[in-house]
Amino acid sequence: MADPNKVDPIHQFEIKDIFSLGENGPALTNSALFMIVAVVLIVGYLILSTQKRALVPNRVQLVSEILYEFVAGMVTNAAGKAGMKFFPFVFSLFMFVLVANLLGMVPFFFTFTSHIIVTFALAMLVFVTVIVYGFYKNGWKFLKLFVPSGVPGYILPLIVLIEVVSFLSRPISLSVRLFANILAGHITLKVFSGFVVTMGSLGFLGWLGALLPLTMAVGVTALEFLVAVLQAYVFALLTSMYLNDAIHPGH
Amino acid sequence: MNKPLGPGPSSDREQTSSLTADLQARIARAKSSHEAAESAKAPSAQRDMSGMGRGLRLGSEFLAAILVGAVLGYLLDQGLGTTPWLMLVMLIIGFAAGVLNVVRTTAEMNRAASPSPDASGSRKDEQDE
Repeated sequence: MADPNKVDPIHQFEIKDIFSLGENGPALTNSALFMIVAVVLIVGYLILSTQKRALVPNRVQLVSEILYEFVAGMVTNAAGKAGMKFFPFVFSLFMFVLVANLLGMVPFFFTFTSHIIVTFALAMLVFVTVIVYGFYKNGWKFLKLFVPSGVPGYILPLIVLIEVVSFLSRPISLSVRLFANILAGHITLKVFSGFVVTMGSLGFLGWLGALLPLTMAVGVTALEFLVAVLQAYVFALLTSMYLNDAIHPGH
Repeated sequence: MNKPLGPGPSSDREQTSSLTADLQARIARAKSSHEAAESAKAPSAQRDMSGMGRGLRLGSEFLAAILVGAVLGYLLDQGLGTTPWLMLVMLIIGFAAGVLNVVRTTAEMNRAASPSPDASGSRKDEQDE
């Protein structure tokens, strides 16, 4: 960004190859690199912090325990005791999204949850798990999910159709919500920071005027941290609620 | 652990258990003193956290259903050769599914918020206005 008057807020989402095998061969992109970084961070932190298994945890171990209890409470609240079977799944998703969002808040780091294909893949993972486990556990009774009780027969086809569309919309809303929040937040942040640079190039008065977008940028940064944590929470919460449908179909 | 030769293992265990009992008593005391404050604080904090999240969640639920309906109708049209009609029908059905999603999500949120309709919650509301 040599020209200060030209700020490109989309540039940060560009996927580049770090290295690739051959011209069109398999490549390690910056997106994949940060996924690996996120996984290494999560696994490393959880293993190292819980290695001592102290009765009275130190701060590092306490964070791991709080994370565990937080997700465990969420899963049991939404899906009951039977839902704890899926605890590793929900916990992995929660930690992956959380660390991805927080890594994205570090300057110059790539945010892979700002790409819809990543969030959509995560959402499809949940969706397919729900369908497969629902049929495995309940057999054809799983389809009762689409037939609410106490509906008169003549309106049933319409209701079932609406229920099916509603069910199919779940992975879309799950992925779009996470992706849109992170994308919009990062673009907003970049635009406000860009204002600071552009106005600053106008001299002293420009720097005075740049105070306003600078304050906004600070505020948006704080908001983005909130959004990063909140979206990971929402993603995990909805995952456990959808899993509840697979475990106990029929409202 | 560092001095296994000094006090025997039994006294070590005794010491640990008395330590644990002391700790338990302290935890219980701290809990009872903090519980009231915690229970008063928790619901309002959660409400503040989810204000924007709730709105975005409802919006995306609504939008996703419409999108799915329209795309499903479009694909069916492509397969059956009935070009605009199934898409229009499925768009309306997607709209209905979106409303259903929103109603369901709102009911869920109300259920999640209702278990603590105590005085502190309503007091917070009055302060907000």
